[in-house]
Amino acid sequence: MTSVSHPAASTWSEDQPVKVRVPWHQRLQPANLLWLFLAGILVVLIVAPMWTLVVSSFTDAKTGGWTLHNYVEAYGKERHITALTNTLKMGAVVVVLKLAFGVPLAWACTRTDMPGRNFVRYSVFGAFIMPPYLAGVGWILLAGPNTGWINRVWHSLSGSTEPLVNVFSFGGLVLVTAIGGFFLVFVLVSSAFEMINSEMEDAANILGAGPFKTAMKVTFPLVMPAIIGAALLSFLGAIALYGVPALISIPARYPVVVIQLTEFFSFPLRIQVAAAYSIPLLLITAAMLGLQKLILRRKGYVSVSGKGGERRIVKLGRWRWVLFGYCFCVVALSVLMPLFVLLLAAFSNSWTTGFSFSNLTLSNFHYVLFEHSSSQKALVGSIGLGIVAATVAITLALFIAYIVQRKLIPFSGLLAFLAVSPYVVPGIVLAIGFYAAYALPPIALYGTYTIMALAFITRFLPIAFTTSSAGVRSIHPEMEEAVRILGGGRVTALRHVVGPLLKRTLAGGWLLIFVPAAQELSTAIFLVGPTTRVVSVVLLDLSEEGELEKLAALGSLLLIIIVAVVAIGMRYLGRDFMLRRS
Amino acid sequence: MKHAITYVAGLVPAFLLAAGLAGAADMTAGERQLYDAAKKEGSVTWYVSQTTTEFADGMCGLFKAKYAGVGCNVVRASGQVIFQRLVQELQAKAVQGDLMSTNDDGQMLQLKEQGALAQFAPENLKDMVPELRALADKDNYWITSGVSPLVIAYNTKLVTEAEAPKNWTDLADPKWKGQVAIGHPSFSGSVGLWTVLMNDLYGWDFFKNIEKNKPQIGRSVADGHNLVASGERKVALAPLPLILSDSMLKKVPIGVVYPTDGALLPPSATAILKDAPHPNAARLFENFLLGPEIAEYFAKDYRYPLRAGVPLAEGMRPLSSYKTKSIATADGIKKLPEVQEKFRDTFGI
Repeated sequence: MTSVSHPAASTWSEDQPVKVRVPWHQRLQPANLLWLFLAGILVVLIVAPMWTLVVSSFTDAKTGGWTLHNYVEAYGKERHITALTNTLKMGAVVVVLKLAFGVPLAWACTRTDMPGRNFVRYSVFGAFIMPPYLAGVGWILLAGPNTGWINRVWHSLSGSTEPLVNVFSFGGLVLVTAIGGFFLVFVLVSSAFEMINSEMEDAANILGAGPFKTAMKVTFPLVMPAIIGAALLSFLGAIALYGVPALISIPARYPVVVIQLTEFFSFPLRIQVAAAYSIPLLLITAAMLGLQKLILRRKGYVSVSGKGGERRIVKLGRWRWVLFGYCFCVVALSVLMPLFVLLLAAFSNSWTTGFSFSNLTLSNFHYVLFEHSSSQKALVGSIGLGIVAATVAITLALFIAYIVQRKLIPFSGLLAFLAVSPYVVPGIVLAIGFYAAYALPPIALYGTYTIMALAFITRFLPIAFTTSSAGVRSIHPEMEEAVRILGGGRVTALRHVVGPLLKRTLAGGWLLIFVPAAQELSTAIFLVGPTTRVVSVVLLDLSEEGELEKLAALGSLLLIIIVAVVAIGMRYLGRDFMLRRS
Repeated sequence: MKHAITYVAGLVPAFLLAAGLAGAADMTAGERQLYDAAKKEGSVTWYVSQTTTEFADGMCGLFKAKYAGVGCNVVRASGQVIFQRLVQELQAKAVQGDLMSTNDDGQMLQLKEQGALAQFAPENLKDMVPELRALADKDNYWITSGVSPLVIAYNTKLVTEAEAPKNWTDLADPKWKGQVAIGHPSFSGSVGLWTVLMNDLYGWDFFKNIEKNKPQIGRSVADGHNLVASGERKVALAPLPLILSDSMLKKVPIGVVYPTDGALLPPSATAILKDAPHPNAARLFENFLLGPEIAEYFAKDYRYPLRAGVPLAEGMRPLSSYKTKSIATADGIKKLPEVQEKFRDTFGI
């Protein structure tokens, strides 16, 4: 750098134009170098895999030339189209269910005097920690058509031999998918409810509306943007999930896109066709985002602001128990029941025998801890990847958020756009993009932890960016200006002022990434190698062999570790770290 | 099984060392040479769909006990899934597995034609049961590493021996509505061959009839077995050794029907990859698979031992005592894609 600043030191000349020198100098300022560096990272993480995905969908596997044949192969079969329409149908029903679960619970916990609000909050938090495929296994134990607990109780009560409930059905599929993700609706809508002040509700009350009318006419319309946003994310989450369909939709014979994608990934391997087949998922999500913008643009929602006045809770009278009953049902379906049977199975010789002392055993835990060939390593791998992904994503996001919020350089908005764009890329599609871009030679990252870490970082970068961005926004620039005035650089300001001030926000964001990253399945499924397996994939393999007791034991171990990490985090952050975010 | 587990745990290094020394004493010169080279390579990675994870882990444990200093990693998944993974690696030119064991020898033929396999004739071939040895590749690109006939399993608590199906077509009997489990030919290698066999015997109507019973479709053939063991389903397509060992050793209420129209006998095959990262460890392991330790381990777990002269477990019927059918390797490859496609159309998944 010094050589650039003084290029003319040896051959000094008065004609040396100063103007040329300054831009060079400016371009090489740390901030700009950092921009280039960050942009480079985002290209590696997001642009290159997605670009490779699109390009390979138009590439002939044999000749390497341009072709549309992959699309013909991907959509030329009725079965493949059915999988696509099935996925949309499933996604739509799941959204309805998730809203039906999440919105009333959010309202009850934030705006009413319902009893047991903390109980409900903690339970919803449990739904966040339990990965969807474990909830799926729990429901297989509960509602397997012949030996599921619910059906056995039903058989003994009614004398019937027909199943009362069958998890291997469309209903089972959407229920299990919905309970695996409604916490997101709860979190987003709760924070919107907490922003509304009560003046408008008071007005409605004064004009004679009862509590429910007020809620329907005033409160809910005000949180509509949050609900729409949550619905959108719910849809994206539902159509991209891999674990639950793998467990349920094959026996239920309800083909969906992710299962079809694995068919293209089986022998003969057709990555190009898989790429072509995953393009609609991308288009659908992009269209949904557009739709959301369109809906929200037409109305003003300025009444929802962080500066709201007084917030009063709604007195429900005797309805409060009705509402609690509903909340309890949701919580029981989503957490209490599946978790209970899962733990019971983990400690049982055979889950079908039911509870008895002779059936109790620790052998499943012994097996997965000490005997199974890859579960020990997979536990370390999952936790390690969770830590790496969360740490790198948060660090990267902090830099980007800072640059974007402080508008340090032109085109910083582009960085922001790139950082949140993985939101719209389903995990399994992201994995195919990463596979196409980095697994094969010349880069040849197949079977390494590196490729998985990169994919996980990308997958969770949007959460990291949203968290960091909100944090940076809350810090007034004047404190950093003080640093600059006293002679410190931007990096000093970041390290000694912004970083420490944001510690709690960043740690909260870290946990929000760590939990799903340690459980991630969709992104891992095509990227794991023989020596880089993660717990989610081992669990899926165990489910394939029908070893549900051992699966339950390994799943419980993963849950215990995650809960321990989260508990440490909560001691430091307070229990509400995930429920109060802007 | 437990004895194998003690080896695996390997908590007493001295014991392991002793076992290694004892083994070293009666090693042949060739084995000794492979062992020394394998120790330098450190470990072997074994892709397996032939057995369950638990059983494969046990085999790895025996290997590690005999050849101290050589590690053994099991990567287990269903046949088509393991095969797909390997094809993925071959395409990425990043082969990570050293050898593969499958119940679908058609996969081996395809890999051989691609030039992905290494030629190797292990020393222990000489002691093999001649009929089983004859099932392997003539050019020694793969060995026969087991036979697990596919038969019908039924839950003995829910179904009496008299009620149980007698042959494959009985699975379509309406009395089994909602009570049958089968695997998926696009996930499991042996189910793929079974689908070919049924189509050869009875035409596609066989599957259309079974479909009326709404069978539960699993991914692996072990899944169906476990569904019957737990009582979730009454009858299923399952591998014989799994049924016998669960009913004999774990007292699971599960029984065998040897179908009168012929159990499917898919020879399991094991081959070494040409680009194996640990070529010597792989050769040592393949030879070990045909050795006396594994033969005994097989026999104890109600599998057919590969070595001549090793007695069958009590209660096990010799292969020649019931009807079996096989699919010629080339035939399987030719017919598999079509039946997979038809299966997806009929069962909608």
